[in-house]
Amino acid sequence: MRNTSDACGLLEIAAATFRTDVLAHVAPEARYAALMVANALAIVERELKGGDAAGRSMLAALAPFYGEDADDGLSGEDLRQRVEALQHRLCIEIAAGDFDHDGRDLLADSLEAMVQAQLGISNPKALG
Amino acid sequence: MHVVTASDQPSHPLLAGDSRSRLERWLAAEAGASRVTVSEDGRLGGGAISLNLAVTLEVEGGPFAGSHACVLRAEGGGRISASIGKLREFAVLRVAFEAGVMAPEPLIACDDPAILGRDFYIMRRAEGLGAGHAVTRTEAAQPELARALGRQLGLLHRVGPETPGLERLAEAPDCPAQATLSQFRQWFGELARRDPVIAWGLRWMEINAPAPGAVVLCHRDYRTGNYLVKDGALTAILDWEFAGFSDPMEDLGWFCARSWRFRRPDREAGGIADREDFYAGYEETSGRRIDPVRVAYWETAAYLRWAAVAVEQGNRHSSGAEPSLELALTGRMLPEIEMDLLRHLRAIGRTASGAVEKVA
Repeated sequence: MRNTSDACGLLEIAAATFRTDVLAHVAPEARYAALMVANALAIVERELKGGDAAGRSMLAALAPFYGEDADDGLSGEDLRQRVEALQHRLCIEIAAGDFDHDGRDLLADSLEAMVQAQLGISNPKALG
Repeated sequence: MHVVTASDQPSHPLLAGDSRSRLERWLAAEAGASRVTVSEDGRLGGGAISLNLAVTLEVEGGPFAGSHACVLRAEGGGRISASIGKLREFAVLRVAFEAGVMAPEPLIACDDPAILGRDFYIMRRAEGLGAGHAVTRTEAAQPELARALGRQLGLLHRVGPETPGLERLAEAPDCPAQATLSQFRQWFGELARRDPVIAWGLRWMEINAPAPGAVVLCHRDYRTGNYLVKDGALTAILDWEFAGFSDPMEDLGWFCARSWRFRRPDREAGGIADREDFYAGYEETSGRRIDPVRVAYWETAAYLRWAAVAVEQGNRHSSGAEPSLELALTGRMLPEIEMDLLRHLRAIGRTASGAVEKVA
């Protein structure tokens, strides 16, 4: 049996220790690899901590189109599946030309909000 | 391919064991020399797809006698869909060099697997700094560098599909926009039905596709990070592995895409200067005018192309084909690339002139 909060805590302290106690002492030829490791640990840390929040932000971004299905009470796997299902619907409507003339601004706002939610996990620096 | 890394390490596996002596014998025979000695000067950076080794060839006898600082460029671990293979790349490099483009002089190519086990070629080594973060670090803008890069691209774009030596490249498309779109659909596959940003990018390309115009030899990875600079001046255009025939504005859109501005996203020509400087150099040598609407179209294509490459790189890792942290992290760049795409579409939506003649 796994304990998720323990895993989060372990990852958090491992990543912090790596950044503060290890990174500065890494030989120059290994620095690029070490920075990649630090980056990967930080991504996983953010994903474990903020995955559901990001999913709810994405669901909120889809609500203007599919409000009735954008249930903000979901979490975990249910939340992920709902976001994926609504994104799939949106893809089909986009490809069918539903936004060729009308609704482009609404679509742009929605897409940007979804990407911002993902950037909060993959690279928050790019949000600026 | 950027900076030579001094290396005390043993031979690169490519030249380990009997490989080096096989290479030396083959080079001696090809160069009409009595003997060729190959020494390694280290591995060069920038080889996520290709392997670049700095080598010095000591040639005894024959027309090439002397010492030559070179790069041995070989197929890397895994090719991605857009790459054309080392022999075609060599042919492109030769044509570009002969057209006066500042490409490293290509010397010899080999497709005999008995020599190194994979296709490779050797070119002269150019000096300079290549890494995008370093090139874009300067306080002042570099308009002369941008103009020089524009001139080089203009020279390349004078090369048409009928040019001898390019027979092995994929046929020039009748409509580059539609050909690119169908390639993107193939590359993205099922992701275009799961990721609404990709779906919208593809749909936008479809409904805004410009009518066919000129089709020329394009570099298709012409950007900051793929050229060398020494003392502020351009010394070489590198990384020709994606070259092919397309709309000339494709290379301009790629060069100006935000993805390749590194430290200076405000400097729209590759993070080094304004677009106007780059465009002016291009118009000096290409014999054609810049079409900003077409460039904007191809900049959209640039973000989608980079997204497709990033996804494929990530998949090379996650499929287990080539476990690599660098590839895994490249796959994680998708949201960044998508944000750049959305910013671009919003910006051109505000200024859309509709001046370009469309296919649809």
